[in-house]
Amino acid sequence: MLELSGLSKHFGGVRAVDGVNLKVGRGDIVGLIGPNGSGKSTIVNLICGLFPPTAGNVLLAGKDITSLPTHIRVGMGIARTFQNIRLFGQLSVWQNLWVAQNSDQHRKDGSFLKRWLGAPGAARAEIDRTLEFFNLEKKRDELAANLSFGEQRRLEMARALAANPSLLLLDEPAAGMNAEEIEQLDERIRTLRKTGITILLIEHHMELVMAVTDRVAVLNFGQKIADGGPAEIQANPQVREAYLGSSNVK
Amino acid sequence: MDFYLGLIQIIGVHTLLGLSAYCVLQTGQVSLAQAGFFAIGAYVAGMLTVLGHWPLIPALIVAAVLGGATACAVGFPALRVKGLMLVVATTAFGEAVRLFFFNFNYQLERGELKIGPHGGEGFRQIRYFPENGWSTLEVAIFIWVIVVIVMAALWWMDRTRAGAVLRAVGQDEFASQSSGINITAVKVTAMTVGGVIAGIGGGLFAHYTTHIEHVQFGVALASFAIAYPILGGLSNVFGTLIAVIFIQGFLIEGLRFMGDWRNLLFGGLIVLAMNVRPRGLIDENTSALFKRALWPRKDRAGA
Amino acid sequence: MDYLDFIDTIQSIADGVLFGATYALLGIGFTLIFGVMHKINLSYAAASIGAAYASLLILAGFKVPPAFVFVLSALCGGVIGGLVYWIGFKFIPLNNPLATLMSTLGLLLLIDEIVVHTTQGVPLAYPVLFSDVIIPAGPFNLRGDLIFVFMLGCICMVLLLLLIYRTRLGIATRAVSQQPVASALCGISTTRVNILTFVITGVLGGIAGAMIGAAIGMLSPLLALPLTVKGLIVCVIGGLGSIPGAILAGLLVGGLENLFQFWRGVSERDLYIMLLLFIFLVFRPGGLFATAPGRD
Repeated sequence: MLELSGLSKHFGGVRAVDGVNLKVGRGDIVGLIGPNGSGKSTIVNLICGLFPPTAGNVLLAGKDITSLPTHIRVGMGIARTFQNIRLFGQLSVWQNLWVAQNSDQHRKDGSFLKRWLGAPGAARAEIDRTLEFFNLEKKRDELAANLSFGEQRRLEMARALAANPSLLLLDEPAAGMNAEEIEQLDERIRTLRKTGITILLIEHHMELVMAVTDRVAVLNFGQKIADGGPAEIQANPQVREAYLGSSNVK
Repeated sequence: MDFYLGLIQIIGVHTLLGLSAYCVLQTGQVSLAQAGFFAIGAYVAGMLTVLGHWPLIPALIVAAVLGGATACAVGFPALRVKGLMLVVATTAFGEAVRLFFFNFNYQLERGELKIGPHGGEGFRQIRYFPENGWSTLEVAIFIWVIVVIVMAALWWMDRTRAGAVLRAVGQDEFASQSSGINITAVKVTAMTVGGVIAGIGGGLFAHYTTHIEHVQFGVALASFAIAYPILGGLSNVFGTLIAVIFIQGFLIEGLRFMGDWRNLLFGGLIVLAMNVRPRGLIDENTSALFKRALWPRKDRAGA
Repeated sequence: MDYLDFIDTIQSIADGVLFGATYALLGIGFTLIFGVMHKINLSYAAASIGAAYASLLILAGFKVPPAFVFVLSALCGGVIGGLVYWIGFKFIPLNNPLATLMSTLGLLLLIDEIVVHTTQGVPLAYPVLFSDVIIPAGPFNLRGDLIFVFMLGCICMVLLLLLIYRTRLGIATRAVSQQPVASALCGISTTRVNILTFVITGVLGGIAGAMIGAAIGMLSPLLALPLTVKGLIVCVIGGLGSIPGAILAGLLVGGLENLFQFWRGVSERDLYIMLLLFIFLVFRPGGLFATAPGRD
């Protein structure tokens, strides 16, 4: 589904991402973990095309998308959430999702005018369904800026799903959530997996990562230091060292 | 009576100018080029009716198309930059248009008279309305029919997905891109629509004043253009209208007895308004409040 | 082009570059405020002219030598700069760029109108220093007043660069411009740094206003808008936030402006300056000294 080959991004002398290779199969849920500043968010930005890589390629379903602009990639089925929530604050919850309906699928659904000026019934129903899934249907006419933090996190994910993606990039979706909210998130990710969507989950919250992912890749200083099943990763001494420092291994 | 009709005409044309900036501001871009598009509309429409003997409405259509085309052409290079850079780029463009007309001479002999734009002296005798026997009232009605059409179109657009997309781009470009929006296309489109509206406004302006010259289209006019929507609030088109009525009707005409002091008041009031209501007179929360008061709880109402 | 034309061309460029020092100072002012607050202060050029006017008023009230007019103008500029921050920025949420843009636009109009009111809109003569001095340099003549203005501008720029790169205040200013939150956590009061930036740029603006008065020989409220546009253009051509860029761009714009005036006449000269800006925007949108893009 998604393949990164030799992906690098340097900011001046800083090698934020350095020669990362990663393969994510269709329908997989892959975790991407690593200490702060190890380049996780940069990878998400590179996959989305918010800035060009210094070297390497991004392949989506076998097609090289390295030089495509962000909005085209989203149309091809990549959607993401932001670590530091970036909603359209002065739009209503419903409108936030409406704006994001941009995939090739939506393009086929309605004529140009219909898509921009009205909303085809199918598209409306889809938004309502997504809102219900995220338990936001009561807030549909509220301005996004007026939502609570937890609701905003859910809306971030709802907006990403509104684009009808085949690959969903979740950038620390559990940050700042309480235990109950994380449990709901866990459940939602499990439900989503049944729809066949591919997910790249970037997260600090180990319990969540270990619980929902099929495979975990570990980054440290921009390089991939491990890649394997959750249990395997937990046992990997290199990973422990990266996270806890060498003297601290239990 | 004619005084009030004249005022109504001014308010109408300035509303169009403000709405042209409103479109662009929706996408978060501050354009001080609107006065330039307005000037292009004014000169083009004036030349077509005076020198070409065109009827008014086709002349206005050409003015609108040219205003839009210029805005589109300016939009591509100018919208590569944002924020302060865009303010400066558009200011420079507006000034360049003004200076172009300052140096623009195109006069034809009509009997013993020479007509047409004449550089620094401006373009006199745009007498389409009096020559065709339009009364001031008819002119005012004509202007307002156009204003209402434009306002209704924009009001309706705000309710469509296109409107939501414009606002989304204005609020967060990164997030918009990541939601699959082609932000360059959206911004250039908004700029083009703004140019079309400014072109129409300029064409009307040339015909009711009958005499235009370059100084009228300077940075000051461009500042007014963005001041209306920002002061009125960007949540809907009525904010712009209210701001125009307040500034043109009340501040400039209503307080005429204060003489030059009202100019002082104007600057002071803008500063005060921004301190008190930084998101404009009618911001998103206010308009949500109105909506709830007017249409209480229509559950399945659009968006 | 014969020899005399050539001499005249060079002469006009030289005069322009000398006058360009005032543009450079204005450009620095815009750039500094942008650098620290990421905000545009449209009232800056108007405030500079206002400070020069204020110094004239004080000069008329007290019998001091005309040379003091520069010091007075600088002081007034500082005070006005502080006021501008207080009125136009302090109470407005900084995450709303439109609001501060409008408030400074309002201040521009307000300052301009105050000037018009106190002077009845009549241009006032400004004390010119060294106007009778002509320095011959080969076939060229350098005007004493312009040389004086240029030297003064250079001194100000050097002092400013020392202030910014050598003192603790300057380091704090740069820290705030790069990482406002982190600087606040390090115990730097961002409000105080912001006020100081406005006062310093105000002082600079006051001097620039006085220099413009001295170079043209008079002051008029009509100067405010064109100077705002020129200052902004200089600041963009130089590269936003870059002080050396603003200096170079100021001199460049000053020189080219006079050259265009010499070639094409006064009514067309600004047209070419606008074109120059567009060329920069298309081919080098970062300006002469673009800062390298960082992470995020």
